Amino acid sequence: MKNKMVVVTSGYERFVHWALAISCLTLCYTGLGILFKELNFLGVIFGGLKGLVTVHDFMAVIFAISLVLAIAMWWKEAGIFVFPEDWEWIKAAGGYLWHLDHVPETGKYNPGQKAFFLTVALCGLLMVVTGFFMWYPEKLGGDLMDWVYVLHVLGFVVIFAFFFVHLYLGTIGNPGSVSAMISGKMELPVLRMLHPKWVKEMEHEGKLMIANDKK
Amino acid sequence: MGNELVKLIDTTLCTACRGCQVACKQWNEMPGLRTKQTGTYQNPPDLQWNTWTLIRFQEYEDKDKNFTWIFRKDGCMHCTEASCVKVCPSGSLYYTDIKTVGVHHEKCIGCKECISACPFDIPRYNKETEKVTKCDLCYSRIKENLPPACVKSCPTGALTIGPKDEMIKKAYARVEKLGGDANVYGDKFVGGTHVIYVLQFKPEVYDELAKDPKVPQTIALWKSILKPLSLLGAGGVIGGSILHYFIHGPHKPHPEHYDEPKKQGGA
Ligand code: HEM
Ligand code: SF4
Ligand code: SF4
Ligand code: SF4
Repeated sequence: MKNKMVVVTSGYERFVHWALAISCLTLCYTGLGILFKELNFLGVIFGGLKGLVTVHDFMAVIFAISLVLAIAMWWKEAGIFVFPEDWEWIKAAGGYLWHLDHVPETGKYNPGQKAFFLTVALCGLLMVVTGFFMWYPEKLGGDLMDWVYVLHVLGFVVIFAFFFVHLYLGTIGNPGSVSAMISGKMELPVLRMLHPKWVKEMEHEGKLMIANDKK
Repeated sequence: MGNELVKLIDTTLCTACRGCQVACKQWNEMPGLRTKQTGTYQNPPDLQWNTWTLIRFQEYEDKDKNFTWIFRKDGCMHCTEASCVKVCPSGSLYYTDIKTVGVHHEKCIGCKECISACPFDIPRYNKETEKVTKCDLCYSRIKENLPPACVKSCPTGALTIGPKDEMIKKAYARVEKLGGDANVYGDKFVGGTHVIYVLQFKPEVYDELAKDPKVPQTIALWKSILKPLSLLGAGGVIGGSILHYFIHGPHKPHPEHYDEPKKQGGA
């Protein structure tokens, strides 16, 4: 028997999320090629190092826009910790480090996801602000700019590492969750495991949207 | 070639004829641009992408109200520890075989990182070509055993070039002779520069002259720590994820998450 599919994301949400993901990944790729002389060859597909810069500049704009949209869309659900329930989850490490029969229940997003959201939001804003001044370094002057470059790479260190955490947990680490990014639907059992409280609340309020299965 | 050369600028001999400024433009085929009168003889007002060397004019009064002109030829110092080379991501700025800092113009991507890094405020950006320019100590001439254009043009002997030790010795001898506050500027910082000054007054007297030039410490943080950390961090996460997958295993729904009892968990 097929599991029930629940609608978890809207088309708009997925669009913003993909725009953010693709621009972020492209920025990491092009940034990597600029940062390491040994990786300058990553620019070959864009016609050389200058091409990497052009793509980085263009994607920066897409990234900045989708970041602002993403923050506006998610900060209420994912930007605020709710105590004590989130604290219980943190103490149990969300069940990711040792086996638990019952992972403490949290709202739509668990503290891990919230921490991730906040990190991306803050580091993303940091990248936009520092990147902007890297376009116009004369606005700040040499002494402050020295720190701007450090912060841009610091943000890169965090974002690049977090990207892989996110990729793992969103795909093979939590089978069944990647469909939220593709079709926007997730299987009910997976949802009950990952977002139990949210499912209960939605069921209680009668808002849980079960997708019409084409049976 | 291959021996280390130093260009000595003896500011006390400079008469501000600006022959060097013109010769530099001519040799490097840099155009003249419309300029601004800012109430001084200094022209153009600052180094520009098309002006790699500039005589700075300064009116100076000492404590006894004695007036003198100060003329200082500004331009790239050709640092041994060159901040601009350390940050340049494209290899456009590089150390030549004579330890000066050359420019592979065609490689420059116009990122302006060198502009912020240079403790002497030398590199200049050209909006039209989206590239940065600066003095290359006339590398093409030196390779042909010719003196740099500015040195060649100087009528007073304020500009000379020669082997490093000889020039440093010459500078100190000159300072000895001048006495007073006279000093040698350049051989003591950023690993020693390949352009050094004989100054009549203490460095802080001079307009736009760095008192304490240093390679910004942030460059080490940026290039030696964070740069490798970006790969280590991502590598660690990928390794950690793989370990997690095989040791702890992915998150799968428990039987009670299903509506009907199911034989196997998992999707
Ligand atoms: C996910 C976001 C981003 C990542 C991961 C990222 C990563 C990087 C990296 C690794 C570098 C090389 C730094 C170096 O050579 O030291 C770089 C350079 C640069 N980044 Fe970003 N960046 C991001 C967003 C932005 C944004 C939003 C802007 C502009 C608003 C921007 C503008 C620049 C500029 C101007 C440079 C200097 C090289 C050039 O001229 O393109 N970046 N970036
Ligand atoms: S003076 Fe500035 S531009 Fe010249 S070599 Fe030193 S750091 Fe580079
Ligand atoms: S602007 Fe050009 S010369 Fe300066 S650091 Fe960037 S690539 Fe190098
Ligand atoms: S050495 Fe050559 S490039 Fe440098 S200031 Fe003199 S003439 Fe100009």
